Amino acid sequence: MIEADGLTKHFRAADGTVVKAVDGVSFAVSAGEMVGLLGANGVGKTTTMRLLATLLKPTAGTARIDGCDITTDPLGVRRRLGYLSATTGVPDRLTPREVLVSFGRLYGLEPAALAERVPHLLHVLGLEACAGRPCGRLSTGQRQRVSLGRALVHDPPALVLDEPTSGLDIVGARDLLDLLERLRGEGRSILVSTHRLHEIERRCDRFLIIDAGRIVAAGSREEMAAAPGGLEGAFFAAVEPGAAR
Amino acid sequence: MNAGRGILAVAGFPLRRLLAPQRVILAALGAAFPAGVMLAVRRIAGDLDRDFAVVLLYALVPEALCMLGLLVTMCPAVADELERGTWQHVSVRPGGRRSLLLGTFLAAVTWTAAVALFALALALLAAGLPGSGRLAAVFAALIVVSCVGRAALFSLPAVIVPKRALVASVAAAFVVEYLAGFLPAVVNQLTVSLRLRSLLVRWMGWERALPAELQLLIDTQPTWVHIMAVVALASVMLFAAGVILARRQFPPAEEA
Repeated sequence: MIEADGLTKHFRAADGTVVKAVDGVSFAVSAGEMVGLLGANGVGKTTTMRLLATLLKPTAGTARIDGCDITTDPLGVRRRLGYLSATTGVPDRLTPREVLVSFGRLYGLEPAALAERVPHLLHVLGLEACAGRPCGRLSTGQRQRVSLGRALVHDPPALVLDEPTSGLDIVGARDLLDLLERLRGEGRSILVSTHRLHEIERRCDRFLIIDAGRIVAAGSREEMAAAPGGLEGAFFAAVEPGAAR
Repeated sequence: MNAGRGILAVAGFPLRRLLAPQRVILAALGAAFPAGVMLAVRRIAGDLDRDFAVVLLYALVPEALCMLGLLVTMCPAVADELERGTWQHVSVRPGGRRSLLLGTFLAAVTWTAAVALFALALALLAAGLPGSGRLAAVFAALIVVSCVGRAALFSLPAVIVPKRALVASVAAAFVVEYLAGFLPAVVNQLTVSLRLRSLLVRWMGWERALPAELQLLIDTQPTWVHIMAVVALASVMLFAAGVILARRQFPPAEEA
């Protein structure tokens, strides 16, 4: 389960002003639930996800991943969380198999466990055919799958995925989202951020709409679909309340 | 055991990059440079004076070549990962930041020492000095000491100012190693350069022959004291770098 409680992050800009990147965000993602975090660029999606992933420390508030607090037990959080960023960031010279083995070692997985886990992930992610090819020679979609495999190598109960379909074509995005649905079916809590609403409007169980660092609207898939204009209408109504659409 | 596996795993990232053909060619050219200098000097001066050749070799390999190699390999420890987008994936792992620091340190020391040892072999062949076997052993030890100490020194700028690490490391090398290191004061005890010079003088048996004014630039303590001093300095610097790195936060906008 992923729980955020008044999560706040302020940065000090170069001119000394305080930028409220995330401002008192609270939500929960249950086991077996996929929640979409929607927002335009620069409204706090990535900062929220990095706070959850313990890459940043909150200015105030906290969050828990599978019961572990990000401020008091960051190591526990890291063991229970799979994190995927918008940039794939896979080493170009390593093959998908080597990437998964290397990151598995970082999680302290024993060689026997890795020997079992890595082929399984390569199969699940559809990477068997290119498992021995350097990542620099893979397509964007394949690299994103390697990145997802890296997030899954330690079999985490919670996933935080920052724009996982970024850079993917329509087929690659569909395949990746199909995979996320299967992972949800295994009982994982999944928080997925995107600004491409059409891709996930039928995939997520609930949606959170973030603007200027705050959650400005939240609702189930059905509630969002029932809004005038569907999810897109609900989104614009939340982030541009004054604009008539 | 787990920490060791993580460090080795991360060390594989920079090592793979360093084994790219362009990097290998550049390293080979760098390794050939001391031998080229030796050949040029021999061509001009005829047979080399052994002591002069040793001092020249010291300046070229454990000092210049190791310093350059470590600047190239250790300084980008964090900046490279930020630029390639791998920083967040490594640092979100338990012990990932420590593995990143120590893995890069291991890769930098291994790579630079390997290039320097190759350069040493070429330079000794080019110099054609008698007793090259003993010289090779002395210089191999100096190379290892230089790499361990300087890589640890450069780890600090790499984590404090990742995007300006190269400039900061060059400044640190001059101020710490070549300014403080040559001051005849207590402060030079905290430098790798004092330990290296002192080890060279001791292992070459030059202690008594050294002029009084040059005696001020070395420390006559036993070998083990110098080795332990470098190990202690490196440990303290790596520990400090680890603590700083564990606390570093990079806002999303800063990573681009």
